[in-house]
Amino acid sequence: MTADLIVDHEIRLWVFLPIVVITFLVGILRHYISILISSQKKVELQQLRDSQLILRAKLLRENAKYIPKSTFLMRRYAFNKEEEGYLTQKRPNNTQNAMTDPSVMTDMLKGNVTNVLPMLIIGGWINWMFSGFITTKVPFPLTLRFKSMLQRGIELSHLDASWVSSASWYFLNVFGLRSIYALVLGENNAADQSRQMQEQMSGAATNMPQDPRVAFKAEWEALEILEHQWALSNIENTLI
Amino acid sequence: MSGGILYRILVIVGFMSLFHSAYSAAQHRSYLRLNELDFLGLPLDISIQAILSLYIIVYGILQVSGTFKEIKASAELDNKSWGTFRNIPSFYMFAHRGKAFSKFYNPVMSKSYLEEVE
Amino acid sequence: MSNKNNSENVAYNELAIRYNLSVVEYVRTSMAALSGCTAGLLGLTGLYGAAFYIFAVTSLWLMVLFKAGFKTWKSYFISRKGLLTNGFFGHLFTYILCWTFIYGMVHVY
Repeated sequence: MTADLIVDHEIRLWVFLPIVVITFLVGILRHYISILISSQKKVELQQLRDSQLILRAKLLRENAKYIPKSTFLMRRYAFNKEEEGYLTQKRPNNTQNAMTDPSVMTDMLKGNVTNVLPMLIIGGWINWMFSGFITTKVPFPLTLRFKSMLQRGIELSHLDASWVSSASWYFLNVFGLRSIYALVLGENNAADQSRQMQEQMSGAATNMPQDPRVAFKAEWEALEILEHQWALSNIENTLI
Repeated sequence: MSGGILYRILVIVGFMSLFHSAYSAAQHRSYLRLNELDFLGLPLDISIQAILSLYIIVYGILQVSGTFKEIKASAELDNKSWGTFRNIPSFYMFAHRGKAFSKFYNPVMSKSYLEEVE
Repeated sequence: MSNKNNSENVAYNELAIRYNLSVVEYVRTSMAALSGCTAGLLGLTGLYGAAFYIFAVTSLWLMVLFKAGFKTWKSYFISRKGLLTNGFFGHLFTYILCWTFIYGMVHVY
């Protein structure tokens, strides 16, 4: 692997370094902007109440063996009483559609503004501004399959695969600076766009305010079929 | 954190040293290229400086990043006496019935007395 | 402090564990970035760079153990081996990025 290619010094100063600096600074800027415009997610009282209720039911279900049978039955009755129990009470169907709820809409818009927009704009700008440069060379040999990944924007079939084009260098930076952001801005920062993209893909379903009745129904069933066995019935003899 | 400033300065000095060795290496490279010599490896002093400054920085960062905490759950409680631990403000009692035994205690306010006041 | 060190019956402070690990994570990220810079500076290529990474991670591990004390590390971390191997490949990417960056800055042009 002889370094037969001599690259102009000016590329280092005007292409290679600016890409790193721009990517880094844009990440930091995005972190602060998203702090600026993000709104605390409000938890509604009813939702909180429901989740606590489910927690209580779960606690009862798991620890039922430590209380006497009569008390267990009493508690279960409070949860599962027909028509009026905590878990069986009638609820108006108040789950809003995510599209019609304005706060969800603005949240999505903000997420798009801070994530997708800079990515598109800066990426497009860098592609336009710094297109077609060979910027650097990775210090290890690579196979030809990496050529399309590392040499975007340069179509030279005889170039060694370890040379990196400017556009690919930008993308390497976008994904590689993640841990540096964690270092500079602390954990859980907003600059980390690749992680947020993953969240958008997978976490969309879990963030929705889910219908409490489904969870209630499941918990009700679990409580109904639970057979009470008191673990402490022989406790006096065990202790003495 | 005592001595935090010292280690911070250590980190900064290390960074400057690392930067200096990088600059020297770049100079060396351009010197080789101008004289059309082959690159056989960096001069020993630059390598030593680089590795040394790396260790200085990492040692400084290790000291700056904070002290470790004991992970045993009882670690914090080991040095406390039972008295501090037993002190639970919610269970303070200000109207203990035992005060009726005190000789300075004068019982007032029977229920009928309260009703008369209103 | 007479701790009966039954390895099963010790209750751990979850918060302290997480705090310790975050400290180590911080140091390890810096180490990955800095050792990447040094590797690029030295002009290491190919397998030498990988070897340098392993060398750096191991020496960082020793330094962390030194900070915690070779005898007393058990009161700060649960497993010594996990300290060495956690995030080994996660930080490799940071290392490679810094390596490429400084190598490009110093040796390519």
